[in-house]
Amino acid sequence: MPSKTVVLKGYAMTDPSKWNDLKVIEFKPKTFAADDVEVAITHCGVCGSDVHTLTQGWGESKLPLVVGHEIVGTVARVGDKVTEFKIGDRVGVGAQRGSCLECRECKDDYENYCPQSINTYDAEYPDGVVAQGGYSTAIRAQERFVFPIPDEIESRDAASMMCAGLTVYSPLKTHGVGPGKSVGIMGIGGLGHYAILWAKAMGAEVYAFTHDDSKMEDIKKMGADHIVDTGKKDFHKDLARKLDVLLSTRDMFGDKTSLDHYLSMLYVHGVFVTVGLPDADDPLPSIHAFDLVPTGCLLGGSKIGSKKECLEMLELARSKGIKPWIEELPMSQAGKALQDLKDNKVRYRYVLTQDIA
Amino acid sequence: MSNSLQFKGYALTGKLTYSSASSVHRLTKRRFADLSNWSDLKVIEFKPKNFQPEDIEIAITHCGVCGSDLHTLKQGWGESKLPLIAGHEIVGTVMRVGDKVTEFKPGDRVGVGAQIGACLSCKRCNANYENYCPKQIDTYNAEYPDGVVTQGGYATAIRAHERFVFAIPDNLESRHAASMLCAGLTVFSPLTTNGAGPGKTVGVIGIGGLGHYAVLFAKALGAEVYAFTHDASKVKDIKQMGADHVINTSEQKDFAKGLSGEFDIIISTLDSYSPQTPLADFLSMLVVHGKFITVGLPDANNPLPPIHPFDLMSSGALLGGSHIGSKKECVEMLQLAAKKGVKPWIEELPMKEVGKALRGLGDNKVRYRYVLTQDLV
Repeated sequence: MPSKTVVLKGYAMTDPSKWNDLKVIEFKPKTFAADDVEVAITHCGVCGSDVHTLTQGWGESKLPLVVGHEIVGTVARVGDKVTEFKIGDRVGVGAQRGSCLECRECKDDYENYCPQSINTYDAEYPDGVVAQGGYSTAIRAQERFVFPIPDEIESRDAASMMCAGLTVYSPLKTHGVGPGKSVGIMGIGGLGHYAILWAKAMGAEVYAFTHDDSKMEDIKKMGADHIVDTGKKDFHKDLARKLDVLLSTRDMFGDKTSLDHYLSMLYVHGVFVTVGLPDADDPLPSIHAFDLVPTGCLLGGSKIGSKKECLEMLELARSKGIKPWIEELPMSQAGKALQDLKDNKVRYRYVLTQDIA
Repeated sequence: MSNSLQFKGYALTGKLTYSSASSVHRLTKRRFADLSNWSDLKVIEFKPKNFQPEDIEIAITHCGVCGSDLHTLKQGWGESKLPLIAGHEIVGTVMRVGDKVTEFKPGDRVGVGAQIGACLSCKRCNANYENYCPKQIDTYNAEYPDGVVTQGGYATAIRAHERFVFAIPDNLESRHAASMLCAGLTVFSPLTTNGAGPGKTVGVIGIGGLGHYAVLFAKALGAEVYAFTHDASKVKDIKQMGADHVINTSEQKDFAKGLSGEFDIIISTLDSYSPQTPLADFLSMLVVHGKFITVGLPDANNPLPPIHPFDLMSSGALLGGSHIGSKKECVEMLQLAAKKGVKPWIEELPMKEVGKALRGLGDNKVRYRYVLTQDLV
């Protein structure tokens, strides 16, 4: 099949000292493989990962770098081995674009934990091609990492489900969130607001923890059963030993946070899961074994989610008509979106629309 | 009918002194003291629990020496009540039972562990989680609602509520059963809670009293076992205990590399941390959603090494704690031990040598648990 030569262009950082000053560049796409799907991008969400990566907070990144991993578009080309998609299908790609597909993890529907996982951007393929992200015209990804979008879900709504939505859906599902369970969600931003929407849809009782008064009306409308103001002293005391799962989306801790207050809110063998990933020099606040032993509780992490979980999540969103709270901008305003995200102005996720000619 | 037991025990007495270096636990705000005489225990008489209809009075024959005894006597966990009789790995003979007791009669051989009370009416107590009851009472250095201070097993006798008394199977010797009641149970609980069994791979970090039990029980449960120690002198013993693999972490610095993603469960018995403790390496060895459970309880001023969410993310791993075990788990454990002939590696001493045992434990000389035999009666 003769290939359509696609010139990939994207908004890239070229100078880390101006981390959100993005300029259109042309770049080499992934070398097309038989199990690849090429997607012409229509929408891309703006994720905290984009900020952490561009600001070099997670470490030195590649240059030039096109970020963005909450991608929706239409299939433009499929490799010979692709069975799930055809040209014209509406699909999404998230924070992962490849894995080995052969290891125990990949075979167990844990491809998001494959030791040879390839991130959607700021990664490198074995043949040396740099993985560039979704603030661009198109992307090529292995079929396993491409997700069909149900007809009932609009592209602009699906986009941020690809990372933010999935990243909280996976631990909620893994840790048994459902009817009869109490779930706490710390930090109500992009990921946190999705956690409220999913946890309610899954039938749990939801406690939203925020320090931001301006968000409380919205949080009620999202469906949270209780809102806890973490600015109040001793907010944790009335909730001692109550929660089965406490999901933290906090991506910075600094010196003042005391994790033991949060851990004290867990029921026996309750789970505190952090999906928030702070800068490399910002570890979790210090904990003592005494914080874990009185409830036998667990502190964990989680990495994105699997395709299996993504499809479940999309079906949940479709069947219950769940829509995220987004703000749309043309892709040329990515720099502004990034700065406003960093300044916590977004309510609750920016979604960029394709505008590169 | 009571045989009028005399309640006497080896106690830490006197007043605490504080050096300028003594610090304050950040959560409990308790001070802890500088004690050079912490292991000089003297025999005293003490007031036992006020006997209740659900209680059992036990004449103690054996008591194991636990790291908890050390931490409590040295005030490392915070200020203790003095006088203090430690010891919570107790075996003895039932002398008297209250009117409401149904499970035991005088003459039965029984044990008591690290917990001696709970509310018995909350959600947790009713779910076989009495070891997590917010109103739980420790076997020593705690207080009953009526004000009586709980004193432990380095003594002639103890009174305990039936729920916290365990029948010892006939073919399990008292001297072997004793240290199962805290050390054994404290590792058995997280092993079974987290599914240790055939097809599972279990890592045990720190092969002392608790660690050696983790090896013995994980094998008895059918798992594959890796033991991690920094002590070359223990390697031969650990193989004899049945560990499938023994890794000397002071010799093999990059031990984690070949074991990435291998372990379903890692039980850590480490009870102190330094900035060099390779916690991130241990976490990297877990399977997806694997569990690292710490049962070791360091001094109050010794937190875990810093953890970054990146360390937890790469396997979606979970790091947790565990507190003793329930009666249900204790009964399972004792039956498994009796059935499979699990015998701990103990060193026996008369109770009057408790000071020697405590210091030997503190210096990591014990191989692998001291058990004291009654000598006051």
